[in-house]
Amino acid sequence: MEVLVAVSVGILVACAVYLLLRARSFSVVFGLVLLSYGTNLFLFAMGRLNTNQVPLTSMPGPYTDPLPQALVLTAIVIGFAMTAFVVVLALRARGILGSDKVDEKGSDV
Amino acid sequence: MNLLLVLPVLLPLLSGAALLALARPALLPARIVSVASVTAQLAVAVALLTVAADGTIVSYAVGDWPAPFGITLVLDRLSALMLTLAALLAFFALLHALGGTDQKGAGFHALFQFQLLGLNGAFLTGDLFNLFVFFEILLIASYTLLLHGGGAARTRAGLHYVVLNLVGSALFLLAVGVLYGVLGTLNMADIALRVTTLPAENAVLIEAAALLLLAVFGLKAALVPLHFWLAPAYASATAPVAALFAIMTKVGAYAILRVYTLLPGTEWIAPWLLWGALITLLVAGVGLLASRDLRTQVAWLVLVSVGTLLAGVALFNSAGVGGALYYLVHTTLVSGGLFLLADLVGLQRREGSQLVSGEYPAARTWLGVLFLVGAAAAAGLPPTSGFLGKVLVMQAAFDTPVLPWLWTVILLGGLAALLALARAGSVVFWKSAQIPAVAPMPWLRSVPAAALVSAGLWLAVLGGPLAAYTAATATQLLAPQQYVSAVLGEGGPAR
Amino acid sequence: MLLFFILLLPLLGAALPPLVAHWGRDAAPLAAAVFSSIALALLFILARHTFDGAPPELLLPWVPALGLELALRLDGLGFLFAFIILGIGLLIIFYARYYFPAEKRLGRFYGLLLLFQAAMLGVVLSDNLLLLATFWELTSVSSFLLIGYGFRAAEARRGARIALAVTGAGGFAMLAGFLMLGHMAGTYRISELLALGETVRAHPWYVPMLLLVLAGAFTKSAQFPFHFWLPGAMAAPTPVSAYLHSATMVKAGVFLLARLFPVLSGTDTWFFIVGTAGLVTLLYAAYLALFQHDLKGLLAYSTVSHLGLITLLFGFGTPLGAVAGIFHVINHAIFKASLFMAAGIIDHETGSRDMRRINGLWKYMPHTALLAMVAAASMAGVPLLNGFLSKEMFFAEAVHQEWLGAVNWVLPALATLAGAFAVAYSLRFIHDVFFNGEPVDLPIMPPHEPPRWMKIPIEVLVTLCILVGVLPAFVIKPLLDVAAAGVLGAVPHYDLAVWHGISPPLIMSLVALLGGTLVYTARRWVFMFHDRIPLVDGSVIFERIMAGVYAAAQALNAAMDNGRLRRYVGAVIVIALLLGMAPFLSGRALLGDLSFTAVDGVSAVAALMLAVGAIASVLFHEQRLVVIIMLGVVGLVITLAFVHFSAPDLALTQITVEVVTTVLLLLALFFLPGGAGDREPRMRHWGDGVLAVLAGTGVAALVLGVLTRPYETIAGYYLANAKPIGGGDNVVNVILVDFRGFDTLGEITVLAIAATGIYAMLRGLGLGLPQTDTVGRDWSSERHPLFLAILSRPLLPLALLVAIYILLRGHNAPGGGFIAGLIAGTALILQYLASGIEWTQARLRLRYFQVAGAGLLIAALTGAAAIAVGRPYLTSGLLHLELPIIGELELASAMAFDLGVFFAVLGVVIIVLAHLGRLSRLDVPTPLETPEEAR
Repeated sequence: MEVLVAVSVGILVACAVYLLLRARSFSVVFGLVLLSYGTNLFLFAMGRLNTNQVPLTSMPGPYTDPLPQALVLTAIVIGFAMTAFVVVLALRARGILGSDKVDEKGSDV
Repeated sequence: MNLLLVLPVLLPLLSGAALLALARPALLPARIVSVASVTAQLAVAVALLTVAADGTIVSYAVGDWPAPFGITLVLDRLSALMLTLAALLAFFALLHALGGTDQKGAGFHALFQFQLLGLNGAFLTGDLFNLFVFFEILLIASYTLLLHGGGAARTRAGLHYVVLNLVGSALFLLAVGVLYGVLGTLNMADIALRVTTLPAENAVLIEAAALLLLAVFGLKAALVPLHFWLAPAYASATAPVAALFAIMTKVGAYAILRVYTLLPGTEWIAPWLLWGALITLLVAGVGLLASRDLRTQVAWLVLVSVGTLLAGVALFNSAGVGGALYYLVHTTLVSGGLFLLADLVGLQRREGSQLVSGEYPAARTWLGVLFLVGAAAAAGLPPTSGFLGKVLVMQAAFDTPVLPWLWTVILLGGLAALLALARAGSVVFWKSAQIPAVAPMPWLRSVPAAALVSAGLWLAVLGGPLAAYTAATATQLLAPQQYVSAVLGEGGPAR
Repeated sequence: MLLFFILLLPLLGAALPPLVAHWGRDAAPLAAAVFSSIALALLFILARHTFDGAPPELLLPWVPALGLELALRLDGLGFLFAFIILGIGLLIIFYARYYFPAEKRLGRFYGLLLLFQAAMLGVVLSDNLLLLATFWELTSVSSFLLIGYGFRAAEARRGARIALAVTGAGGFAMLAGFLMLGHMAGTYRISELLALGETVRAHPWYVPMLLLVLAGAFTKSAQFPFHFWLPGAMAAPTPVSAYLHSATMVKAGVFLLARLFPVLSGTDTWFFIVGTAGLVTLLYAAYLALFQHDLKGLLAYSTVSHLGLITLLFGFGTPLGAVAGIFHVINHAIFKASLFMAAGIIDHETGSRDMRRINGLWKYMPHTALLAMVAAASMAGVPLLNGFLSKEMFFAEAVHQEWLGAVNWVLPALATLAGAFAVAYSLRFIHDVFFNGEPVDLPIMPPHEPPRWMKIPIEVLVTLCILVGVLPAFVIKPLLDVAAAGVLGAVPHYDLAVWHGISPPLIMSLVALLGGTLVYTARRWVFMFHDRIPLVDGSVIFERIMAGVYAAAQALNAAMDNGRLRRYVGAVIVIALLLGMAPFLSGRALLGDLSFTAVDGVSAVAALMLAVGAIASVLFHEQRLVVIIMLGVVGLVITLAFVHFSAPDLALTQITVEVVTTVLLLLALFFLPGGAGDREPRMRHWGDGVLAVLAGTGVAALVLGVLTRPYETIAGYYLANAKPIGGGDNVVNVILVDFRGFDTLGEITVLAIAATGIYAMLRGLGLGLPQTDTVGRDWSSERHPLFLAILSRPLLPLALLVAIYILLRGHNAPGGGFIAGLIAGTALILQYLASGIEWTQARLRLRYFQVAGAGLLIAALTGAAAIAVGRPYLTSGLLHLELPIIGELELASAMAFDLGVFFAVLGVVIIVLAHLGRLSRLDVPTPLETPEEAR
């Protein structure tokens, strides 16, 4: 199971990096979204992978480590804010620079 | 007293939130709130400085949860120094902004407060993940402040800055994750404690995490080759924002000092940091000689200072860290002032801040004097604080094998600054023709510039006490046991 | 303390002239004169002790950490130089008053002059190496400003910048040398240093340290090959040249040689470096001086040559050499300053400095001519003038030195040759200018004597030339003795007689005089010879080098930073990879010893879906709709993973965020039509691919490394205390709102800031509204489909109810403020999508900024409430309520906090999506930048 999760995280990060290196803002945005997925899953896995150990004290234990879950939740929220921000920034760049290339005008391939 | 410790976070948070809650904040009340808050923060910071000056370390358990389970704020000499520095810089940057910059876009004052919230929080928190959160706060605030005023250049620079820092944040999360996954704790003091009792086979992961963090902090500090965002961002931001950003790179330096003196991680990162810093200095020198615009030049000067600063830090001896901290104070205030000054010059010439002969600023005499002082300080010429800081760092390299490299590179950097600034000054103030002032110079813009640039002189006059404080700070940092026991109590945490 | 004032007075005085300049023509000079004469008076008051052998000292701490202290000491050497600086300074102040055209205010000039004076005094009075270095650089800066005084002229700017570059660079080198010296000797205090000569010379660092220090001295004193800045500095006003470039600043270098003579001298290295530099400079400059057509140019090269002579004298390393060196410093200062002032007068009266045009001035200004001729004769070393005496001593030293063994005769020969050239150019100065026919079309014709007062300073100096020359033992010996004592400790025996009988030096002098006269009379052929040998001016080479440096910097900078995000991000990834992998290179094991748990089919399939989704979003990254769908798939799988690994809260959050994000991306996509972009080269794709795979592998490896190791976590504390103290069963939620509520506070702050930023960005931003989609189909003209509207309206209250339910249960079951906020937000967004902005706005009178801000405030204030009751910030409290119908209810203040979160999130979501949606209404063109923005 650990291998499976590790590979999934790896794939997410790899695809994210590839997209981040593209020249158009929307691809970069997608890359960032994937990257945040990857890191969230990574952070979550750091609390180890336990099934049926929901950290609700109203239910019988044992419980999985709740702290990483809290951290991931915070990370998700922040990630959401950042995604929203960067999407709109990309729109603004499109509107003001008149192009959806992330690079400076004139610095063409 | 304890309340005092949380105020640097509460003041900007509440005033920022209040400024948001005001439906469409009218300018005047917003300005009043903003100025009042920053002034209060300055006062609090100074008060905290006096507390920390005698070497006491105070910790504050947020939510009354004991460390390492809750989040603790920790005040030591370093954090007190950084808080004061930030508040001082912010105060003058804000004054300058009242000169009209704050009307160029929505929500300037709220964002300014949140920026300070992020900075102060980062300087105070004793929890690694909480540090991440405050980093995010100061980053997203800086994204928005950078874009303040609109324009193509800012948008482009902003896009690059944002994307790079988002990648950095992802790296931060990975590193924190690994640290937690191995050590099972987030409190930095507790991390320091647990690393000491770490099974050898796990050390390799901790080391990897520590080095990943170096990439994150290096990005914040603009260590080459993680520096690409700096020049465009600083050069395109509005003047007060650029001035405030003068401390952003220092946050990276702060984090490096804080984290690696606690983790016994100094020996892992020292070589990377040192050579990175020296290369940074060289690259900055090249950029400085290449730049054709006063603002860009100042931006490169910031990078020069990053190199010098981190070179001192990388020695990780008390002389090096102490000298670097003195240099940090100097360069933050002076480069902040230089950004404001470049703006004043730009306002007065039709060519803006471009380094082309044309019309020199109407208020040439005293702008020229200011420029002279700032340039001398930036180039490390005596009797300015830049000279003192530079020499402190150079002296720290005695009895280390890197002495020849460090000295050569630092002096070369100074020389590059000397040449570039002499050229710039002679173009702007000499090789030009007098014209009636293009724009009047409101005192709200000129006074802060003067106050900050002249830091190059008054920091030198205060050189004795300040250097003594930073030296004491260094010794405190390099003996982290006091910090750990101040946070966790003598016996370590109760489990 | 008086000592301090000698320094302070000119420094304070520097501020005065600019302030009083507008009072009138004489205000500035007067102010300057007053301050330096008081300083001079003080100097003499203190000199008493110096002559009694008890040099006055002053010691104030400055930066102990650095070893930098305000240590001043007035020993013989210091007194001599201070005397020259202040004395000649006064004459210059007086002279300049008449030199400058009457309409000039001169505030800046006299201010800078005093600033320089103060710096120079600092150099010669410092008893601390670092303090000396400080004043040293100050002289460089102030001379930069003085040379550039007439900044309208290009050569003034050029000369100033070259001078600063050369002397500044030298200063940096010298600083390094001083730091080493201080480290070697264990002190920066010069007076202590002087006793530690052996230690220093024995130290392995001696040679590098010496080279660095000499680099400072030689650049300042214009020694070959650093001499070229001095002729360039002649662009300065003549009073400046007379002061800085003859009497004072250029002497700083030789002062340093004298100051550190006991510490550094006496080794072969010293002799060969210092001696060679001095000799070469002496000859080379003396030769070049002859061929200058510019009056000041001739004097400049002659100055360089004489500085070479002094350097050579110190290079001998013998006591008598040092004495002779000091003596020549005095003499040169006297005659060269007067010559420069004379040149200034000539320039002033004829409007030209070209010796090919200035001829036969004897007729027009006999008085000036006489003065100049005496001074020039002294420069040539004519007997009965002061120049003769020190030159005699120089020749004597040249004869007596033993360093060269078999070829000892070479040195006297070369010395005589140099002497001959000195005679030649002195002759040229006299003959060309004052005789040699009639003036050639001078700008001012006929020239006449300058104002009476302008000649006073020259007369004073020329009188000194003669007095010293005739009665050396009475006039100069005491001063020379005390100065020599300052350098050597004890004064060696020497006698200052005009007549020593027939001795080798005398013969050499005569040979030099005759030879010089010959060279000058034969000048036609000498000039012809000179024109054949191609000599490039050092400053030209320097300028070329600088230009090259700037060009190289530009090219290099452009090569490093191509302005492309791809490279920037790539750099971060590569660095992260290097740093992350470094620890494993030492061959330490990545994996721990825990074994893996089994994989079940469902998980495998899920993972497969995730992989497919991710990879597809890469392959089809040009078709954005596909990518959005694929991202949805990935998000869904992650949600399932959260469910599977017992994290219901995360699952709920993930799914809701998923929905909102998708809506956001779709809205954005509407404005960013995709389609194929310009093709990127195949190689680049491969390179990126490799980097991506490496990064992925690295992260995966980290996951495995951690998951195969046991760890001891602090989580137990949370599980134990969530209910009893935190008052909630849902530990994750309790952590969020209580244990680590501080994080959550920060997190919603981030949300609020993002909202502000997004609002600011969207304000005034208009995007051309695409009429068709990427494939070219028209967008449906029906803005708000009826059935959706009808369907959605009853949905709203329902959704809000669900949201509130989730909010309330959050503390004990999966849910909480954030999720609730997102749900409510989406529900409202649905209204916008279904019924349009106007319709909804009309019915929902909500200001979302207030909502978000209020949420943040609630959360922040909830925490602050604890402070009111004396507990730390964010301390939660429990409230037991006995309510009639509902029965017992337990309220944690953390719930109020969660409410804050709810409102913050709600507000943010609406701001983001509603404003983005509103964009579609305005169809304005891209706003143009105002100049304000461009800056």
